Amino acid sequence: MSRKRWQLPSRSLVAVALAACMWGGLTRPAPAAEGPTAVVQATADAVVAVLADKNLSVEQRRHKVEDIVYAHFDFETLSRLVLARNWKDLSPEQQKTFVEEFKRHLSVTYGKNVETYNNEKAVVTGDRAEAQNDWTVKTKVIRPNADDILMDYRLRKEGTDWRVIDVTIEGVSLVANFRAQFQEIISRDGVTKLIDLLREKNAKGESLKS
Amino acid sequence: MLAPAPYAWCLLIGVCCSLMGCGAAQPGNNRDPLEGMNRRVFWFNTKVDDYVLEPVAKGWDTIAPDRVQKSLSNFFQNLRFPIVAGNNLLQGKFRRSASDVGRFMVNTTVGFLGFFDPASVWGLEQHNEDFGQTLGYWGVPPGPYLVLPFVGPSDPRDAVGLAADSFSIVYAYFIPFYYTFAATGTDIINNRALVLREVRQLKEASFDYYVAVRNAYTQRRAALVSDQNEKSKQEQEDLYQLEDAQ
Repeated sequence: MSRKRWQLPSRSLVAVALAACMWGGLTRPAPAAEGPTAVVQATADAVVAVLADKNLSVEQRRHKVEDIVYAHFDFETLSRLVLARNWKDLSPEQQKTFVEEFKRHLSVTYGKNVETYNNEKAVVTGDRAEAQNDWTVKTKVIRPNADDILMDYRLRKEGTDWRVIDVTIEGVSLVANFRAQFQEIISRDGVTKLIDLLREKNAKGESLKS
Repeated sequence: MLAPAPYAWCLLIGVCCSLMGCGAAQPGNNRDPLEGMNRRVFWFNTKVDDYVLEPVAKGWDTIAPDRVQKSLSNFFQNLRFPIVAGNNLLQGKFRRSASDVGRFMVNTTVGFLGFFDPASVWGLEQHNEDFGQTLGYWGVPPGPYLVLPFVGPSDPRDAVGLAADSFSIVYAYFIPFYYTFAATGTDIINNRALVLREVRQLKEASFDYYVAVRNAYTQRRAALVSDQNEKSKQEQEDLYQLEDAQ
């Protein structure tokens, strides 16, 4: 009796889920075999595996995490979004320098988290299609002895691969935040100054590290 | 009976001072017409943090294990239950409000006065609500960005919200005001200790710390008001459309 009562909702749930999938498949291109959610979950798992590997030195762990992250982030699109309309004002050479230095900046500042890893885990909590054919994958970082952190990844498909173009932490988009800062610096001191500033900061950060 | 109010008054005075500074402000960012004054208050707050709050929080961090900090944070969070449940109610989110009541009852009893958080494990999640969000939910715009002395990033809507919420700190009605002061102080120091690394990282990662904080605050509050719902089409286009698609 109680069995039967439980079967009904679950069966209708499956039907709804199926209908949703079909509807989704009809209205928008379905994510490829290696979908955005799978990409994020796999990346998170790979990073956590490296962080938890006590046989590696901090430096080794940092490099491995860097490699994994670099493979799944699209730093060029990220940089272009951060610079917005200012991107066109940069010479191709400046654009290249900016992408490299900005990537290095993120790696230097956020790479420090490798040392302080404390059994945090990341779980995917949901996903949704977005405008511009992007995909958002919602995750939660579960920390022992601290509040969970909500992290959303926005991915864009390039060729066959989904790559991350923005990270939103507790509602704060990285792209929007850096864009606001860079806009201020560019309008005040110009683009060349911004690139110099990036270089300077990176050199300082790297020397602090070693 | 005015016991819970001291920091509400500080706040109101802060707001008044800020608004009076209005005329003296230089024209600037359209979301931040008071930038000149805000930057000065921000500078002051940063100094207070550098020389008082952060060192004290660091000291606390070295003597108190993470578990103790987390429990203390749970305890104060649990006492904020009237604010969370009340504001959910004011926004017509009845299920959430009921869940907050259940959460409070579970954590106060099974969770030993709120030091532990079994409710989260049982699916009664912590919600983040305050009167500023309630005003936002009913369409009140945040107004110009405002940095309040000692309090930090805010805006007129959230400042009013904070003042209103301070009246819902129920325990303050039952204990002498100096206990309330001590409790508030402990809460602030403990919370600061919990984000030592995050704040340091934000400082290191930012190029203009003032702008970084202003933008983060604005984004965060908007996300909280909409309960972390997705961005509008227009916002997405502004943020994620490449200038010239090749």
